[in-house]
Amino acid sequence: MTWRYRVTLFFFVILFFLILARLFYWQTVRAQELAALGQAQYGSEITLNPQRGQIMTSDGFAVAANKLSYRVFANPKEVKDVQNEANTLSPVLKEDSATISALLSLNKYWVSLAPSVDQNTKNKISSLHLPGVGFEDEYNRFYPEASMAANLLGFVGKDENGNDKGYFGLEGYYDRQLRGKTGIAVEIHDALGQPILAKMNDTTQEVDGRNLILHIDRTVQYLLDEEIKNGVQKYGAKSGEAAIMDPKTGAILAMSQYPSFDPRDYQKYSESSYLNTFITDTYEPGSTFKPLIMSAALNEGLLQPDTKCTICSGPVPIGGYEIHTWNDQYFPNTTMTDVIVHSDNTGMVFVGQKLGQDRMMDYLQKFGIGDLTGIDLQGEEAPGLRPKDQWYPIDVATASFGQGIDVTPIELLDAFSVIANGGKRMEPHVVAAVQTPDGQTIQIPPKEIDQPVSATTAQVMTQILVDAVNKGEASFARLKGYDIAGKTGTASIPIAGHYDPTQTIASFIGFAPAEDPKFVMLVIFNRPTASIWGAETAAPVFFDVAKKLLMYYGIPPNQ
Amino acid sequence: MKKPIVLLIFLFLIILGLALVQIGLSNKIATTGEQLTALQNEIDVYKKENTILNQKLLSASSLTTIAAKAKKLGFVDDNTQIDLSAPLPLALRQ
Repeated sequence: MTWRYRVTLFFFVILFFLILARLFYWQTVRAQELAALGQAQYGSEITLNPQRGQIMTSDGFAVAANKLSYRVFANPKEVKDVQNEANTLSPVLKEDSATISALLSLNKYWVSLAPSVDQNTKNKISSLHLPGVGFEDEYNRFYPEASMAANLLGFVGKDENGNDKGYFGLEGYYDRQLRGKTGIAVEIHDALGQPILAKMNDTTQEVDGRNLILHIDRTVQYLLDEEIKNGVQKYGAKSGEAAIMDPKTGAILAMSQYPSFDPRDYQKYSESSYLNTFITDTYEPGSTFKPLIMSAALNEGLLQPDTKCTICSGPVPIGGYEIHTWNDQYFPNTTMTDVIVHSDNTGMVFVGQKLGQDRMMDYLQKFGIGDLTGIDLQGEEAPGLRPKDQWYPIDVATASFGQGIDVTPIELLDAFSVIANGGKRMEPHVVAAVQTPDGQTIQIPPKEIDQPVSATTAQVMTQILVDAVNKGEASFARLKGYDIAGKTGTASIPIAGHYDPTQTIASFIGFAPAEDPKFVMLVIFNRPTASIWGAETAAPVFFDVAKKLLMYYGIPPNQ
Repeated sequence: MKKPIVLLIFLFLIILGLALVQIGLSNKIATTGEQLTALQNEIDVYKKENTILNQKLLSASSLTTIAAKAKKLGFVDDNTQIDLSAPLPLALRQ
């Protein structure tokens, strides 16, 4: 009897282990696959698209928001009279009848007839009661101020998978913050396909994008856009650009360029028009660079404002070249203040020689010349400084008056703001705060990068620049009653190894009020034809904007 | 042996009560999905309405639109500036 008992026991033990192994196989090895199979029988997976975050100016106005539009689709199998339906849809969709007819003739259950149509068009099509035609909701980017600050904002296009993606400017730089997170939910159906519970699995719930609150002041931006556009047209320039910054915090209050593009119809413009030239394009800054070199020499104690130039009585020969002044007028024994007032190139050569190559390069690096400023916009370029061993005496001489050295406008604006901010250099920033979907606001604090010159040097340089405005070649355009510190610039453009005498980059850089600066501004016109001089093109525009800004900020005259 | 009539009645009532509760709950759950879908549709409608209204509001209050309308109505830029100078200190009136 014992052997029968043992065989039976053995049989049951084997059976038990077989069942255990099978259960392990189903519940562990094929668990995910079977769960998905089961889920497919009672529900379906739906994608929950998050809303892209808004971009708001400092007054809380959304300059980039979302709008509801509709995709028109059709089920060709339900369309009875293809030609008639195509002819009816053609004028409403503004699409060729043959194209629609071809789409409706396809052997498919779903074809897209038109993406992103507005509410009016949808209503028109709905009223036609066309069989087989339907609509799908779509959320698209909406820019209420059209092309205002377009190069600063960038635009939203599609990535390789057809998903929304920000390109250029803020849309590109902050894309991950703005886009949010796509969620996946399972919708459970009954036997008839009716949803029983709306959502079951919300472990991967969608998270809406974060909003950006900018330092940009919408009124100032609008004003600057208009002035630059008018300036380009008035002076027959190829293009124009400008930016306004708070020197104390590095907050960008406005950034503009013309010609620009409309982010709502970005496809209609060339790719080059998407670039924000204020941060991507390099140029030789010319005389607007002189205050930086002069500040360095003053800070080192090598010169004083009343130090006399000993080489300014005529053209200065250096390494086989001759350095001339812009108008071939020379001022023997001119002071350093007058070197800036008269924008005297020979005087700046004197300053450059006093400073020497090593100290000049050291200060240029402290001013951030050649480096990225760290502005929070996509596409910033840094031209870099030439290596130390590739500098010759002529390079030191020309760099001292802003030729033979490349900068981006944002680099120059940031470096110049050092003088307006007691010698401290701030990181330029466009975004003031990030707002999470649950209403939390994360502030981005101002960031001090360096202190290239002392507060005393900055004060002395400010006074020299006030004199430059009051007595310099742009004094006719200055604002009476206010102390404004500034400098004109007329930079030659290097073409095929030499400078083109007929084409220039005209600019003006300055800040106001000089005693307690509220803003620092750089205005640039590329190849103006009405006049090649910065004093006659960029300076009037600078003072026009400055006047309106001082009124806008309610700053009274001090004289 | 005496039948436990009280116990049987008690059990019967419990079964009946539980059955009724189940019918009631099933009935409620069966319609909850529909109600939830209706609520979700309503939320979607309000969200869409909000988006459309926000879009209209932004379009109407954009500076580009306001400037264009102002120009059409004949408004011009006001560039006049009036400075009210501070009175001179009394000590200077000698």
